[in-house]
Amino acid sequence: MWKFIVRRLVITFPQIILLSVLVFIMAQMMPGDALSGMIDPNIDPAAIEKQRENLGLNDPWHERYVDWVGGLLQGDLGESFRFKMEVTELVEQRLINSFWLGVATLFFTYLIAIPLGIISGRWNDTWGDQLITGYTYIGFATPLFIFALVMLWVFGFQLQWFPTGGSVEPGLTPGSFDYVWSKFQHLLLPALSLALIATVNTVQYLRSEIVDTKQKDFIITARAKGASESRVYNRHIFRNSLLPIAAFFGFEITGLIGGTVFVEQIFGYPGMGLLFMESILLRDYTVVIAVVLLFGIASILGALISDIILSLVDPRIRIK
Amino acid sequence: METTDVKMDETTQGVTKSPSGARIFWREIVRDKLALISLIFLVLITAFVYGISLILDQKEIVTVDLFAIHQPPSEEFWLGTDYGGRDIFGQLIIGTRNSLSIGILVTLMTGVIGVVYGLISGYFGGHVDNIMMRILDFFLILPFLMVVIVFVAIVPKYSVFTFSLIMTAFLWMGIARLIRSKVLQEKELDYAQASKTLGSSNIKIMFTQVLPNITSLIIVTMTLNLAANIGLESGLSFLGFGFPESTPSLGTLLSYATNPQTLEYRWWIWVPAAVLILLLMLAVRNVGEALKRAADARQRRG
Amino acid sequence: MGFLEVEDLKVYFPIKGGLFNRTLGNIKAVDGVSFSIEQGKTYGLVGESGSGKTTTGRAIIGLNDITSGKVLFEGKDLTSKKSKTASVRKDIQMIFQDPYSSLNPKKRVLDIVAEPIRNFEKLSKQEEKKRVQELLEMVGLSPESILKYPHEFSGGQRQRIGVARAIALKPKLIIADEPVSALDVSVQAQVLNFMQDIQKELNLTYLFISHDLGVVKHMCDEIGIMYKGRYVEQGTKQDIFENPQHIYTKRLVAAIPDIDPRHRAEQKQFREDVQREYEQSYNDYFDSEGLAYGLQSVSDTHLVALPEKG
Ligand SMILES: Nc1ncnc2c1ncn2[C@@H]1O[C@H](COP(=O)(O)OP(=O)(O)OP(=O)(O)O)[C@@H](O)[C@H]1O
Ligand SMILES: [Mg+2]
Repeated sequence: MWKFIVRRLVITFPQIILLSVLVFIMAQMMPGDALSGMIDPNIDPAAIEKQRENLGLNDPWHERYVDWVGGLLQGDLGESFRFKMEVTELVEQRLINSFWLGVATLFFTYLIAIPLGIISGRWNDTWGDQLITGYTYIGFATPLFIFALVMLWVFGFQLQWFPTGGSVEPGLTPGSFDYVWSKFQHLLLPALSLALIATVNTVQYLRSEIVDTKQKDFIITARAKGASESRVYNRHIFRNSLLPIAAFFGFEITGLIGGTVFVEQIFGYPGMGLLFMESILLRDYTVVIAVVLLFGIASILGALISDIILSLVDPRIRIK
Repeated sequence: METTDVKMDETTQGVTKSPSGARIFWREIVRDKLALISLIFLVLITAFVYGISLILDQKEIVTVDLFAIHQPPSEEFWLGTDYGGRDIFGQLIIGTRNSLSIGILVTLMTGVIGVVYGLISGYFGGHVDNIMMRILDFFLILPFLMVVIVFVAIVPKYSVFTFSLIMTAFLWMGIARLIRSKVLQEKELDYAQASKTLGSSNIKIMFTQVLPNITSLIIVTMTLNLAANIGLESGLSFLGFGFPESTPSLGTLLSYATNPQTLEYRWWIWVPAAVLILLLMLAVRNVGEALKRAADARQRRG
Repeated sequence: MGFLEVEDLKVYFPIKGGLFNRTLGNIKAVDGVSFSIEQGKTYGLVGESGSGKTTTGRAIIGLNDITSGKVLFEGKDLTSKKSKTASVRKDIQMIFQDPYSSLNPKKRVLDIVAEPIRNFEKLSKQEEKKRVQELLEMVGLSPESILKYPHEFSGGQRQRIGVARAIALKPKLIIADEPVSALDVSVQAQVLNFMQDIQKELNLTYLFISHDLGVVKHMCDEIGIMYKGRYVEQGTKQDIFENPQHIYTKRLVAAIPDIDPRHRAEQKQFREDVQREYEQSYNDYFDSEGLAYGLQSVSDTHLVALPEKG
């Protein structure tokens, strides 16, 4: 067991290093550098050149890479050209917003997936199962952004059940009940849109897992011994099928990252995804780089967590 | 050498005829009504959009007409106009054609890269496979959408071609992985081993012996990928990082819906595109799923 | 200098696992096997499932890496890297056990049989087709078969296609790995007889792998008996069938069914005796790990794995 975790961790480090190299290459390819945004265009070019030299912008690429990584390790993500503030500061509030969006989405994902998966697996081939399978079939083929647009249109504009933008009603005092309630309301529609699409995989997986387990020998034995049907399900089948679902948790994180870009953009929810879109349109590249880097690390860690949980749950994958 | 008795047993012994791959595919599609309808729909719409766009005056469609802004559907503009007074119906047709074309292009390019990568990794196995799989894992873990957007934003001389290259660069992994695990099994089979003893080179065995035996997997995977790629392209165009401005795609029409006014009051601009994307993706998937069942003998319906 | 000489051949498969996929141990599939075959003869390699017969054959033809030992073919060392692709390889061919998986299902018979020809000779399409048709006729299939796919043939016919492919380059040695065990009993004799026919015709040498002593008796001049990767006994057909020395061989020989029904009771008695002897003297014939001892000569041709006395 520990061996697997150690092995998995050993793979993680090169992944993070590779990611940093890739992001660094992106940063190098981006037009302009920290100075083109910072310095008054009226200053003469020779002075700029001198300044560049001082800042180490003319060093060979590997030295610049080492400097850059050194900065990252000290929590220095650079400075936004546009907002003239530290990226870390800029990111902080957005990160918190995205974090809550993620939490709510995961919560809804499982809240929807578990009952639907169980119903459709336990009573497979009934009309209830067919209804659920129909939903997963459509959900699987529907692009998230179209679904989110429709949700916004129907529940935001037509029915006006939910606010249609932002993360909180302006003018409320942070910390007050109203403030928290408003935040929650703003969160609900984006999170539900994401979850209703993201959950489809899990429902399908859970269903086929339950249908498979039903026919396994130990279940048939348990039945033969006279265990009641609900006992068979509660004690044996669900336990066997739900654990792997828990393990997908990490992969969900990876999947969420692409989703937040769309959903935050559509609902105008000020999280990391929207920050990313704004900065790339404003050509605020230090921010772009920082966001890509953070999301990349989040994906890597998500996969790491999932693999570790999976190996705890399912000894088969440990062998390979 | 007496050959007569043997020739006799050739005709008498249990000779089973199994139909060719194409025929199995076709039979499964015909048997699955939904897949058949989907296929007909796809053929018709493809013929229609490619046919019509030959006649349509593309220039005219994308030219701004300030006297016809945001018109609702009418005799002249079947599906109304957008903020630039451009005909939605025409854009829909060109958009569908562009979305299909790029979907197919990206699917083919990722297919070629994925198949070659998977073949090499699976066939050689061992350390080669190990290293190649680690690289693949890394690509798989990258936040696809953001990385693609960044590259789209920074690439000089942006065009439809560079766009599909960027998409391809980060989308070949799925098929590569499937092919690799199939090749891992396939190369151990006696026919591949026999080829080695007959003096065939590794390259020859990979491409002339193993490859023909994994074509059904390749076709199935590429079909399903096509559906996904149409979705991805429209998503990227929706965010404004897909096709360049001059070439509308279905996603471009949807991006008008980011304007709340359009979303709320001018459904004719974005709803047809949304429905079309959905139908295209569902239809391609239906065909793909039927092919998948046909490729897996245990799941065949007929 | 013999035709084919195998000296102390060892093939180990690593058992991987643990941290960083290290090698934890070895499966000793072939563990020190030596034998030699004379040209034009048939050498039988016999043993129960998992005893390492296939691995030995595959190692000789180069499909498995050799851990140590030597394989000399007409005096040339096949284990050296150089010869791996050299033309020596075309002198050794293989017939596979399973006629269903050994022919590529997506290829026509023409392409299957022509594959070795295309690798080693430059023939025009016309010449090639003619060669393939000749080969098919030789193995008793109609020349019109060239455009058919393998699934259009029965097991016995497929095995003939496999043979046609193996003899296409006029090899000197053919490794036949249980060539008939996947076939119906009724077809087995047919294929075996025809293999003997082409052996005479082309002056072939066979390394004939089988777990069926009856078949081996019919086919082979010399026989080696394998058990858990090692030899327990080796000798001429007479040595093995009339004068088996190792208890393991005795048991195998006793197990050959006798067709004559009058001997049935007698044979049953004999088999039980041998089985009892086997159980009683197992420890005398195998070491503490249950492996065979080294070989000792009993006569010029006959070697038996016995513990060193004294
Ligand atoms: N590629 C491989 N990797 C690991 N172990 C292997 C491999 N090939 C064979 N072995 C092992 O080597 C041993 C000998 O196998 P081999 O196939 O040579 O036996 P065999 O005598 O041909 O048996 P059979 O009569 O069943 O064909 C077996 O224990 C087998 O599990
Ligand atoms: Mg074998």
